[in-house]
Formats: sequence, structure tokens, C-alpha cells
Amino acid sequence: MDTVKLYLRSMKMLLRSQMQYPASFLMQTLAQLVMEGGEFLAVILIVDRFESLNQWTAGNLFFFFGLMSVTFYLTECFGRGVTGAFPGMVRSGQLDTLLLRPRGVLTQVLCSAIDPRRITCIAVGVAALVIGCQMSPVHWTLLKALAFAESVLFGCMMLLGLFLIESVLCIHSVKSVELVNALTYGGRSACQYPIDIFPRPLRALFTMVAPFALVLHVPAAYILDKPLYGWPGFAAFLCPLSGAAVFGVMYLVFQRAMRFYRSTGS
Amino acid sequence: MRYITTEGLTKTFTVRKKREKGRLLREKTQVRALDSVSFSIEQGELVGSIGPNGAGKSTLVKILSGILTPESGAVTVDGLVPWQERRRHVKNIGVVFGQRSQLWWDVPIVDSFSLLRDIYRVPEGDYRKRLDELTEALDLSSFLRTPLRLLSLGQRMRAELCGSLLHGPKLLFLDEPTIGLDAVSKLSLRDFLQKENRERGTTVLLTTHDMEDIAALCPRVMVLGHGKKLFDGALPDLLSRYDKVRQVTVRYDGDFTLPALPETCRLTREGADCKITYEPASLPTGALLSLLQGAGAIRELTAQPQNVDHLIAAMYKEMDL
Repeated sequence: MDTVKLYLRSMKMLLRSQMQYPASFLMQTLAQLVMEGGEFLAVILIVDRFESLNQWTAGNLFFFFGLMSVTFYLTECFGRGVTGAFPGMVRSGQLDTLLLRPRGVLTQVLCSAIDPRRITCIAVGVAALVIGCQMSPVHWTLLKALAFAESVLFGCMMLLGLFLIESVLCIHSVKSVELVNALTYGGRSACQYPIDIFPRPLRALFTMVAPFALVLHVPAAYILDKPLYGWPGFAAFLCPLSGAAVFGVMYLVFQRAMRFYRSTGS
Repeated sequence: MRYITTEGLTKTFTVRKKREKGRLLREKTQVRALDSVSFSIEQGELVGSIGPNGAGKSTLVKILSGILTPESGAVTVDGLVPWQERRRHVKNIGVVFGQRSQLWWDVPIVDSFSLLRDIYRVPEGDYRKRLDELTEALDLSSFLRTPLRLLSLGQRMRAELCGSLLHGPKLLFLDEPTIGLDAVSKLSLRDFLQKENRERGTTVLLTTHDMEDIAALCPRVMVLGHGKKLFDGALPDLLSRYDKVRQVTVRYDGDFTLPALPETCRLTREGADCKITYEPASLPTGALLSLLQGAGAIRELTAQPQNVDHLIAAMYKEMDL
């Protein structure tokens, strides 16, 4: 509880720091809106052309897009320390400063950055979700709401876990992050569409390695009243837990890696 | 009571060089940042550590504060092994890096302080009392509500010091705290550190290149070079080893014949001035003076004060650093 309080206080302070430069913030936020709006437009154009993809209707596709956007950008907004700021912290020596304080390193890394510009991306995602629910249409029940919450929560954890791979490589002073980006940003671009439209190797990648399909698509199928890839209904509640597993494993790897941390010159 | 003990502390860094043409793999070299360093520091001591750049001073501080893990050797600080029980250990230490800020850049410093209170879980009452004390001692009241980025270097260093002492650490590491400060700021910083050490019994390990810091603050000094501990003792003892020569400048009225001086002396002429370097051990100052007086009418005579930096440079040179 104490840690949550610390996180919230840190976020408040970081927000106030960002608001010291309002013009810059406004422009960057708008730039984000154009970027994510463009992505959404691409989905709209596809829907316009094909009306449906495999078994998925236009509304379903909007729902998938929205779910991915909300999850991904929530992670980038509130997990900025892991998703973007970490390499800089290693290079500038800020990580040293964190090690000098009586708190967990990962807690402090998460407490030291926020990216409020993503708020527009999240808004686009929410809009897509609302449109998707209207068009599909989705008949909400308590269980569906639970599946949805689970999906977003564990989706964020899975993404944090995947971004942690980059941090771990960074501690070992390996600078090539392209491979990791293929999983994170690549995963986002691919899995904003339902997994079953992809060929087998990609399906395997996004189920076994980076389980976007398990965390986001299985519950989405449940919410949209579609067959769960041949699995029973409770799979919609179990599969998202794989996101927590990814995070857990990467958390342990991260802790181990910190032992090899070698700091930078004074 | 022994507060810090280190025994045979060794840390090596692997440095990868740029790949040479025609080679498949990059060449790696091992750099010994610390090479079996042993010492102990008592509670309440104020110890200075000096040495040329790259001597291993910062590495030592980083190991003692739990940031780095050494390859071999034992360290205990207040009974704890820093890198094994990092969280318990850092609760009791404060660290100031002269070149690296620990406070938040864009917010008023008092906000940074209250976040540090949360991080260290300092009870509100203790925090208030300590902040008031430090605000007064470091003269922070005029810029408590100013963001860090708008402060001058001297103000920033005072703020950093306050931030590192809010949780009442028993041990304080200072890595070049006076770097880039003006004379007034340096003096007040030294006064503050002395008071903090005397009144609260805080153990201080100070790393610096400024010999005046050492002379003013540290009864004990450690010299590091190439990762080895080369000297550990009082500054006057260290200096007396290298403090063998004196220098006088003489200006004569009108003509003079240069005196014949013993071989141990060196004489250089700069315009009307004669600069004489001599060793009092072999040529007493009295004898030199009568030689000089015999040469002509002396208008001015200046004895140069000893320069600690020159001595240290001579020492580094002799130790082959």
C-alpha cells in the first residue's frame, strides 16, 4: 500500500514537472493524436474494403483495435520508466541514484517517469472500443466486464515484462533493441487484428513467446460471443494470467541482471 | 568501534576496445579499478580520499554504498555487507555526487524533499525537525520553493546536501562536493560538514581533488592510485615526505654578482628577479640569506608559501601515477 502511495505521489510530481512546459506538451500530445488516429484510419479503410475478416465483423475489428490501443498506451503512459526511460537512466547514471535508496529498483524505475502525452492515444482506443461495442453489438454482463478488466490489467503486465527484456539487455550494455521492438511494437501492430488471420509461425510467436493472443484475443472473443478457438469458456479468464507469468519471469531475470550492473564513470 | 572495514577489496572492469580492422573479435582488456584495498574507519571519523583521475576513488564509494559488487574481498559497513543487504544498508547512508543530481529537476526543491521523505519512510515529526535544522544550517530558506534547474551551482549543492541528510544517515559519502564552487560557497560547505561531523557524529568519507578540502576537514587521508592504497595517515605526515624544498625570490638594487650556491640549489632569473629553490635540510635558510646578502643590496625578498597541489603533483609523479 505504501508503495502504491509512493507511486501516486511520484506521478503527481512528474505531471507537475511536465506541465512546466505546456506548449511543448500540447504539441506532442497533438502529434500523438495524429499518429494513433492514422492507425485507426487504416483499420477503418480495411473494414471499408472487406467488411469482415474471417469470422470477424467490422465492429469486432474495431473492438480488437481499441483493446490493443488502450492496453498498450496505458502501459506506455504509466510504465514509461520501463518502456522508454530505462536506457537513458543507465547511461546518465540516474540508476546509481536509485540504488542508493531503500526501495526496490523496479519500483523506483516505474516511479521516475510518466508519459502523459499518450492520453490522446488512449482516447482513440476508447473511442474505437465504444464504436466496436455499438456495432458488434456487445451485450455486457458482469463476467464479460471481469474478462475485460483482466485482459487490460494482465495485458499491461505482459507488455511491461516484454519491455523489461530491453532493460535487461541494457544492463549488460547491449545496445541492439530492434529485436525487442519486434516483440513489443511489432506485437502491437500485428495483434490489433485478430490472431487467426496470421500464418502459423506468427500465431505461434504471439501465443507462446509474447502471448498477446492469450491475454487479449481470447477474452475479446469471449466478450464478442465468438468461439474461443475451441477452448471452454473459462479459458477467457485463465489465459490472461499468462501476462502475469511473463512479467513474473522477466522480473526475476531483471533482478538477477542488476547484480551485473556496472555503473558508469563519475 | 569500527564502522567500515574492507579487506582485500578487488574490482576489475572489462573494457572492450574498438574492433581493429581485419579482426573478427574485439579486443578486451581487464582494468583493475581496485586492487586488494584494505582499511578500516571508525565511527565519527572524517576521512579524505585522494588520487589522480581513474585511481579507483569513485569505484570505492560505489562499492561501499552498495551500487557495485566487487569480485573479491570483504566489506562490512555497520555490520552489513552493502551489496547483499542493499536496502537495509542504504537507509543509514547519504551520498552526494558532485556531478550528478539526486533531486528532481523541474520541481521546487521542497517537493523533492517531501518525496524523499516518502521514499525513506521518515516520520513526519522527524522530517519537519530535520528540514528546519538543515534549512537554517545550509541557508536554504530563500529558494526552498524554486525549481532545482533555476538554482546556482552553490545553491544546488546545498540542496543536494540537504536531500542526502534528511533521513539522518550515520554515514555520508561525498564525491567531489566542492567541484566548481566559488570561495564563499566552499568555505560555508566545509563549515557545515565539520559541524555535522562534530555534533551528530556522522562518519564522513570525502573524495576530492581539492587539497584545501582535505587540509581543512580531514585529519586522515587515504591516497589511491592505480587501484591500490598508497598511503593512509595524517596529511602533514604525507606532505612532509615530499615537502623538502623551499623557494625565495630576491630583487636586487642595481648591480649584483650572482652568489656561488651549492649544487642542491637551483637559480633562475626572470628579469630583475632571481628565483632560488633550495633544500633547507642541506642548506639552512640563514646560510642562504647571508650568501644572498653578500651578492648585492637586496630591495625585496619574497618567500613562496608551500603549494599543496604542487606537492601532490610531485607525489603522484614519484609514485608513478
